[in-house]
Amino acid sequence: MSISLEHLVKSYGNDTVIRDFSDVVPDGSLTALLGPSGSGKSTLLKMIAGLESLDGGRIVLHGRDVTNVPARHRNIGFCFQDYAPFYQLSVFENVAYGLRVRKMPKDQIAREVEEMLRLVRLDAFADRFPRQLSGGQRQRMALARALAIKPDVLLLDEPFAALDAQVGAELRLWVRSLQRELGITTILVTHNQSEAMEVADRVVIMNNGQIEQVGVPAEVYDRPSSDFVHSFLGPTTYLEGRPLRPHDVELVSVTDGQSGIITDVIRLGFEVRVVVTLADGSSVWAQLTHDDAQYRNPSIGESVGVRRRVVR
Amino acid sequence: MQRSPLWLRYAVIAWVFTLVGVPLIFLFDKAGAPGWSAIWSALHNSATDHAIGLTFRVALVAVPLNTIVGIGAALWIVRHPSRLSQLVDRIIDVPLAISPIIIGLMLELAYAHTGWLGRPLAALGIKIIFSFPGIVMACLFVSLPMVSRQLIPLLREIGNNQELTASSLGAGPIRIFMTITLRSIMWATAYGVSLTLARVLGEYGAVLIVSGNITGVTQTLTLDIGNNFDNYNAYQGFVGASVLATTSVVILLILGLARHRERKRHEHLARAPR
Repeated sequence: MSISLEHLVKSYGNDTVIRDFSDVVPDGSLTALLGPSGSGKSTLLKMIAGLESLDGGRIVLHGRDVTNVPARHRNIGFCFQDYAPFYQLSVFENVAYGLRVRKMPKDQIAREVEEMLRLVRLDAFADRFPRQLSGGQRQRMALARALAIKPDVLLLDEPFAALDAQVGAELRLWVRSLQRELGITTILVTHNQSEAMEVADRVVIMNNGQIEQVGVPAEVYDRPSSDFVHSFLGPTTYLEGRPLRPHDVELVSVTDGQSGIITDVIRLGFEVRVVVTLADGSSVWAQLTHDDAQYRNPSIGESVGVRRRVVR
Repeated sequence: MQRSPLWLRYAVIAWVFTLVGVPLIFLFDKAGAPGWSAIWSALHNSATDHAIGLTFRVALVAVPLNTIVGIGAALWIVRHPSRLSQLVDRIIDVPLAISPIIIGLMLELAYAHTGWLGRPLAALGIKIIFSFPGIVMACLFVSLPMVSRQLIPLLREIGNNQELTASSLGAGPIRIFMTITLRSIMWATAYGVSLTLARVLGEYGAVLIVSGNITGVTQTLTLDIGNNFDNYNAYQGFVGASVLATTSVVILLILGLARHRERKRHEHLARAPR
């Protein structure tokens, strides 16, 4: 189901957090809303779910204007960053919650919940309570709870931010494949660019309540439309006042590029960072692979030339 | 946690024992010394009997009312912050700061049949002061913050993500309140209700003014006790006081249980993986 967001506006008092935001999320896509904290992305997600009011604009779900439809009639699955488990209810009852609201027969609820719990691999935990689950298990329970109502759209607010790195990385891939399997239109909010790149097939980069750039991950990474997007999406260094990726900085002989002196060499395992201070006092850093560094063997004090790598 | 030094523990125990324990023991001793039959007949003194009944009738009305108002006020203050709700948040503690006797005087000024609100009510045939409604109002006034003060910090801490999730799952406000909100605030509410009950049963000053202290009509148990002492009928007073003290001990036990459950909940929260 496609989501059409038209000229959305939201302000708190004099503070406008969403300014004329428009985007169309295609049916079945996994779109990442990516932006620094305070860019308005979580507010936007709540607006789509109907959990936050609008000060302007329209929200259209697959041709149906839901702008004035209350959250409980939108049929949207929503997961909070803290998963908002219903602490007083068992895992089973958490997942069954939306089905009980829908007055589904008991035996059917039992079947559906069991199926959802199997899907999120929590079938052995039906009788536990949320406090007895780990962070990753809680997140999967929240997903099952949201998916149980067969929502038209799934909204995830920072789904991996509260997990430790390893669990988060596993769950990203799992959520990605689950989303593909179910084909459910999904919007995920994150401040982590590598998470967005890895999971999403479409990235919307937000800043100050507005869209900076929209595109597939590789496109926005390779062709950022602004300095903001450039520096937000990955390591950025400046040469002749223009931003570029450190792995696009090439170390050459003094005569072939801008001349400078190596002032620092930082070895980070596979990656080696070489800081070059140029004649005008500015500095630029180059990212070398371990093999490159082995071959070139840069050392502090050495005179080198730097230039933008020529793409062949 | 570090263990407190031995002397401090003994000092605290001695202090509490001197202040609370000794007087309580003497009270029960005085009331119990003449034996069960004396207690029995004292309990069947018509004035005391009526006072006990009235006190519990007042509690039966005032405690549920104050509980509903307290939950409503707390939800309003935390979930729908506005200038007005913030103002209420600030003045809701006023009853704790004003002496009850002054509260009684204020109510009497407003609701006596010559008062600003009392006159139109009297015209409608509704009597507030010197009757049951006035006593209930005085009790509501003095116990106003008891429930909401317990709930406001708790509701802030829980946040409303669970409630918003429930609404995205299709639940309406009443279902959300019954299945999500109420379950999370149950024990804190029980704690607030015990405090309210204790306050209502023990109220003296405000009730003294608004009830008119009419024996067998508007006299609550605390007023009856006071009356008996004034009339050199000390034994009757001891028995009445023992009834109140016993009730308070029971409330304390319930309160302790509620706090214990709350603490366990907090420990769970602290241990929960984030």
